[in-house]
Amino acid sequence: MSAQLRITDLIKVYRGGTRALDGISLEITRGEFVVLIGLSGSGKSTLLRCINRLVEPTSGRVELDDIDVTAAGGGELRRIRRRIGMIFQQFNLVRRSTVFANVLAGRLGYRSVWRTLVFQPTHHDIDLAFENLQRVGILDKAYSRADALSGGQQQRVGIARALMQRPDVMLADEPVASLDPATSHSVMKYLEEINKKDGITVICSLHFLSLARRYGTRVIALKDGRVAFDGLPAEIDEARFKEIYGLDAVEVEIGVAKVRGEA
Amino acid sequence: MASYFRSRGLPVPRELSRNPLTDWQRWGTLAVTIAVLYVGVKVLDIDVSRANPQYAWGVVRKLLEWDFDIMTPQNEYETFWDTSPGLMLTTILLGVVATALSLLLALPLAFLGARNIMTGHPVTAVIYTFVRILFTIVRSIDVLIVVIVFAIIFGLGSAAGVFGLAFHNIGVLGKLYSEAIEGIDPGPGEAITATGANRVQVIWTAVLPQIFNPFVSFTIYRLDANVRLAPVLGFVGGGGIGQQLFQTIQLFQYQKAGLIIFMIVLVVATMDFASAQVRKKLS
Repeated sequence: MSAQLRITDLIKVYRGGTRALDGISLEITRGEFVVLIGLSGSGKSTLLRCINRLVEPTSGRVELDDIDVTAAGGGELRRIRRRIGMIFQQFNLVRRSTVFANVLAGRLGYRSVWRTLVFQPTHHDIDLAFENLQRVGILDKAYSRADALSGGQQQRVGIARALMQRPDVMLADEPVASLDPATSHSVMKYLEEINKKDGITVICSLHFLSLARRYGTRVIALKDGRVAFDGLPAEIDEARFKEIYGLDAVEVEIGVAKVRGEA
Repeated sequence: MASYFRSRGLPVPRELSRNPLTDWQRWGTLAVTIAVLYVGVKVLDIDVSRANPQYAWGVVRKLLEWDFDIMTPQNEYETFWDTSPGLMLTTILLGVVATALSLLLALPLAFLGARNIMTGHPVTAVIYTFVRILFTIVRSIDVLIVVIVFAIIFGLGSAAGVFGLAFHNIGVLGKLYSEAIEGIDPGPGEAITATGANRVQVIWTAVLPQIFNPFVSFTIYRLDANVRLAPVLGFVGGGGIGQQLFQTIQLFQYQKAGLIIFMIVLVVATMDFASAQVRKKLS
């Protein structure tokens, strides 16, 4: 089976000379749950953002189902972005808007500008929004302002918004870094569910190895903008860990306790 | 103190690196300040020898002996709009119309003057710089000067007041709006862009909800300021109650002037209170 996502020689140099990505090549197959690990500044966020071109790569190539993402412009880029959902560490919800409006916004890539301007979503989109809110268990919060929700609930709104796109790939940029351990697991379980049930490829950056081992089917470690490790979660032993995080690093566990629902 | 660190080869903390007693920069600044104040007082030659407390006291008493003739039409040629309440109302409306006019122009310009929207392309970056410089120039010309110039163009009266006030306000509102746009959280915009939405959709869905309340708040703040400024504009030919106040003072009719001043104070205080209440609700 050919790769769903193929990254070739990706380099990103920021203005000011920071070399965030230094020649990354990867192939990711449909249905994988890829966990990206690495120190802060190792290039995880940049790599994720280069995939949907929120960050413009300096050179190299990203292909989704053999379509060249890096060469796409305007309308074609937006059509590609529709197929790639994304959730963020800071959730990135419009805080003053309702949960419902935030979720509905996930559908904008399919809709004309005038529908957006006159606030006229289609009935199909409204149905879909309620369906996805139900799915992440916050249907009862649909009419609340986004900033009235707890962190875990806000991240679930983020997931529901991304699901509105009916994506093939879900990018998650440290989705649980602002959440407590119990809530983290509840959010990760939703990502696991969409990966297993819907077959959506998940590429998720994480700080905790315990979460990587628990949820990932494959772990890719970045160090100074290069791939330092690529393999099964179980293969990361003490030596590999020190290689990725430096000699002084000590692994911190985030409890894989029996967590139901969320705080 | 600093020697403690130096002798041990440590960097000296910023707070301890200077001794306030031997800091020549500090003493120098103090000396220059005193010199400027001394020269200033000498040059100004402030003269209080011609003050006339008895005359002043008489004026103050007249200012408080209100002449209510100005509240009603005095002859068959005068209507309500020539009386002080009428002129007061005209003046308030002058402030309102001027605010609305400046709002119409400042709103689109503000987006062109917002860094986070305009950078990213060389052409838009040039427009951004141009618009911000325009705002600064327009804002830096005082309202009174603008109205004097507009009074030359349009003649004395409301036109000079409205356009002059509106002109100045485009600079102020434009800057306030632009900064509100620049202060938004970029996260939601990034998220909406990632869904495949285009630029207009991103602005409508992620930017507008964030700037709506600040915009309304700034507009009310400027409306308040403009209604406050409007009476003064009459002094330089902007029409309204200010012109009547100016005339009564010129004719030594302090009994009328006192009542007009009281009415202005009343309106300004009411505006101030109302605007603060509304803005508190919005924040």
